[in-house]
Amino acid sequence: MAILELNKVSKSFGEVEVIKNLSFQVPEHSVFGFIGKNGAGKTTTMKMILGFLAQDSGEIRVCGEKVAYGNTKTNRNIGYLPDVPEFYSYMSPKEYLQLCGEVTGLNKELMKSRSKELLSLVGLDGANRRIRGFSRGMKQRLGIAQALLNEPKLLICDEPTSALDPVGRKEILDILSLARERTTIVFSTHILSDVERICDSIGVLDQGKLVLQGTVAEIKDKYRKDTLQLEVAPKVNMEQLFVGLKKLPSVTGTSYNGNKIDIQLANAEQYGPDILAFLVKEKVPLLRYEIMEPSLENVFLEVVE
Amino acid sequence: MKGYYAFTKKELLEQLRTFKWLIILSVFFLFGMMSPVLAKLMPDILSGMEVEGMKIVIPDPTAMDAYGQFFKNFTQMGILVVLLVFGGTLSNELVRGTLVNILAKGMPRPVVILSKYTAAVLLWTVGYLLAAATTFGYTAYLFKDALVSNLVFSMFCLWLFGIFVLALVFLSSTIASGNFGGLVLSAVALILMLMIGVIPNTEKYNPVTLASVNVALLSGTKEVKDLIATVIITCLLTVGCMIGSIVLFGKKKL
Repeated sequence: MAILELNKVSKSFGEVEVIKNLSFQVPEHSVFGFIGKNGAGKTTTMKMILGFLAQDSGEIRVCGEKVAYGNTKTNRNIGYLPDVPEFYSYMSPKEYLQLCGEVTGLNKELMKSRSKELLSLVGLDGANRRIRGFSRGMKQRLGIAQALLNEPKLLICDEPTSALDPVGRKEILDILSLARERTTIVFSTHILSDVERICDSIGVLDQGKLVLQGTVAEIKDKYRKDTLQLEVAPKVNMEQLFVGLKKLPSVTGTSYNGNKIDIQLANAEQYGPDILAFLVKEKVPLLRYEIMEPSLENVFLEVVE
Repeated sequence: MKGYYAFTKKELLEQLRTFKWLIILSVFFLFGMMSPVLAKLMPDILSGMEVEGMKIVIPDPTAMDAYGQFFKNFTQMGILVVLLVFGGTLSNELVRGTLVNILAKGMPRPVVILSKYTAAVLLWTVGYLLAAATTFGYTAYLFKDALVSNLVFSMFCLWLFGIFVLALVFLSSTIASGNFGGLVLSAVALILMLMIGVIPNTEKYNPVTLASVNVALLSGTKEVKDLIATVIITCLLTVGCMIGSIVLFGKKKL
């Protein structure tokens, strides 16, 4: 069953249409990376899922239940981490989690054990002082703890790593990797290496539309250019090798630079051995042989152009 | 219900840790104590300022003057303190975004408003009772003839006016945005009501009357029955403000 379902959702602010006919689904126990440039409409979409903003048309369902604007019951299944979470600065983390637990109606025993467990999960079990003095990273971690407190079926994180230093980012990603065992995660970001690290599937949002959707492997596969890169020993006569490679029937294009040669093939896995056979026959000393992987970065730049 | 209890508890903790209890209780206690003391000392203070050739003659102060001081302090400074202390209760949370986490947990929005109002009413009531009791005690101690008519009702009127002002602050905070939007809007609304009070024959329907007839009640120039309509209207307006505030807050973008 899809935990989250958007069906032809549109939203405008005045004249500007921010979300256009957006539809996608997030299956249970997956990590969905919601990617887009700043201002692409990621936060708007998330706020509509939470019922904080009303969509102009279309339908949003969480766990099969329709989201109603303003006062939605679907939020009991959702844990939300805002991009910059704000807390009551006069409370300690423990008190804050207690308030969250009481608000959701958890019983006392369960709440105590769970808040203890979560605080140690996010590495705040030693922080007994008030939230006032917390760094951004600490607030972000407390944000994850509060979002996971009621064991939500869906965890929504709005750019959880954007404002953090590399160490803080790694910590948040590690915590999210742990959290994926318990819940489904929707995670918006514009940092593509984060997506590659923890997401199963992604959707790329551009100008209010989903321009690309699928699993990370699928997308990379689809955008694979089937390019081989060879690096040969410096003494090799490049001109001669280049002409020889060009004559091979499976090669569709080639170019060289120094002692590196790029070779385009119809299918790198199928015709790769032909290239290798040719190199062996010609006794070319090969230093490196690589099937080029498309980076998400290149894919992203290609689809949002 | 659990959410209401938990959030009210949070509000009280917030009031305590952001020194609102300290401020309200100490300021109100000061008002309560100063009013009779000032009334008692006023002739001495004025005689100290005697200008050559002129003698200011003042009749001996009575308990009536002490309560007069009390109501004067409270209807001006007291209400101002209430506005300043409670003006940000809702606005600050909306501006800072601290409610987002709580509401994302499925907390019903009306409960947030009701909890906040409960906590504000509680602090106002405790502070007011403290001030009233202090004034009553000091007046009884300083003046022999401490008997005045309608004292409890007169004090009740001002208390009810405070309750109304709080509801007005909540409504204003859901209408106007920004840190001080609610504060300014409720101040404007109060000033408007004061101005309307100038028009003859409207005072019966104006909540501000509850904060202006207190001394008249004590002296007996106004009777309890003259104010029943005003009390009922103020109660209705308070409920109306709260309903309006709940409805508007339910539609607010976060």
